[in-house]
Amino acid sequence: MTAIPESTTFTTDETYTPEGQYRFANSRAGVRRLPFPFPDDEYMYSMNLEPHVPAGTGALVAGFDIDEHYVSECAHRAQMLEEMPGVHYIALPHMLEAQWDLLELIFESYNRDFPEHFTLTKNGNEWRWENRLLGIDDSFTFGDPETLPMDPMEYATRQAQGEFVVLEERDNTLVIGAGMTTQRADYSLQFNMGMSFAEFHGPVPKVEKLGILDRALKFLLRMKPGHPVRRVNWSLTVNPRLETSVETLPDWAPDRAKVTAENAGELVYLRIELQPLHRLPRSNAIVFPVRTYLVSLAELVEHAPDWAKRVHRALSSLDLELADYKGFHRYHGAAVEWLSHHDDGAPLATGYPWIQDGIQPGGS
Amino acid sequence: MLITGIKSRPVYDRLIPMAKGLTHVAAGQGSGGEPLIRLLGEMNPEQLAATSVLYSSESFTGRNYLAELQGFGVGDLLVFESNGDAVSGLDSFLAGAKMGTRLYLSGSEGFIGTSMQVATAYGMNRDEVLREHAGSFVRRVWCAHCSHYSENVTRRVFRCPGCERNLVVRDHYSGRLAAFQGVKADGEVPGELPDDEELDT
Repeated sequence: MTAIPESTTFTTDETYTPEGQYRFANSRAGVRRLPFPFPDDEYMYSMNLEPHVPAGTGALVAGFDIDEHYVSECAHRAQMLEEMPGVHYIALPHMLEAQWDLLELIFESYNRDFPEHFTLTKNGNEWRWENRLLGIDDSFTFGDPETLPMDPMEYATRQAQGEFVVLEERDNTLVIGAGMTTQRADYSLQFNMGMSFAEFHGPVPKVEKLGILDRALKFLLRMKPGHPVRRVNWSLTVNPRLETSVETLPDWAPDRAKVTAENAGELVYLRIELQPLHRLPRSNAIVFPVRTYLVSLAELVEHAPDWAKRVHRALSSLDLELADYKGFHRYHGAAVEWLSHHDDGAPLATGYPWIQDGIQPGGS
Repeated sequence: MLITGIKSRPVYDRLIPMAKGLTHVAAGQGSGGEPLIRLLGEMNPEQLAATSVLYSSESFTGRNYLAELQGFGVGDLLVFESNGDAVSGLDSFLAGAKMGTRLYLSGSEGFIGTSMQVATAYGMNRDEVLREHAGSFVRRVWCAHCSHYSENVTRRVFRCPGCERNLVVRDHYSGRLAAFQGVKADGEVPGELPDDEELDT
């Protein structure tokens, strides 16, 4: 049993950078398995947490999803870490136990969900890890950092898709203690390190007014190991660029001014974030992974026409303050206009695609 | 681009003598002298004798409380010409501090924040430190692009001395960096700057 189709071809030469000319594309199957985040024509910001149990036939089958971009994305992470050391990966010294927790969680999940690609063999604390997609076969002693070439968290997350922020529980809140964040959406890990839940959510508009943050924090503090929860979130971005940190804003923000109603289909990408949160068993920390998927508006129209219509309607009715917060205020109108030519107004199903009767990609 | 409502800004305390402290360190800067004087006035003779005061006369508003501070019979009074020197002095002091030490900080946000970095490095817990803001709310700003720290920033938009970019100060504060976040102000279109304004100084 595997959580991705046997036919999946892993593309090994994609890039997520202008220097690499953004050589990136989704296959039709890759688009139609996305965790599409718009259940309704109107978008409302919410925590929308649900139990993280396998659902549907796409990205929500595995504990931690991988897809056709796995190999390229791992290479991108390695490149980002090399180019800006100390900026994308930070772990405070007391987080070592949580690091081992996270390594175990990721490797066990991959081993269980993608056995043709990953094998974790445990003999007491002597572990062997085989990652056939990246050509890795290492043996190490669980709990002994000397037996790995780097921090356990860095070692595991260099072989994982998505970013990972580890939060420790302290004084009835959650505090950022470690992060592997080569795919940040306009925030700084160095800056946010050590912040509490309310502090790092500070810039999100509206949420406090709605009482969402307090409720979400209370919910997360009740989380137990073995009972993960998930939510999906989204934004828009220009070009298939994963690394959009505050630090490199001067490099990528000018792209926002290049979008027109004519080129939005190719330039504008829907950035979907799948966030499966887990309580970690030894450290009692919580890991907040952000698995990011990029799909251009044109790819949606071609491979998932009903989802493209839904995106058109959700963006049309979007609160402008949210567009500003998410950073696409400048090209919001262009994206809506481009999409309007691909929406016939037909009624669409309600609900996430992974639930029964939820919105499906459409087409055939 | 600009984000209002500063939920990450520290919530400050009022300095009062911490009864369980065996030794006390009170570090202040400029206008922060006023809360120190009030604090010392509330201490009993035993606490005063076990207290070291570190005071920097550097001030954005020009207030100096050194003469009044000299009127208390504290165990030790160390005077510094700059806030940076006072923070270094605090570092040296805490290097030799024992269990039961209590820390009191007062002054600008930048001074309190950088002093807290030192206290945190020595493993002091939040319940062993009191912080009282005094004087102007000028900001210490970290440039996200070149990591330069600018002290006493008063305007929403300013030029970073480190990388020469125009930065907009976001209303987002990092205790770890003891600074607000500055990001390129005309990131999307060169020369298209957001509205400048006086910060809440």
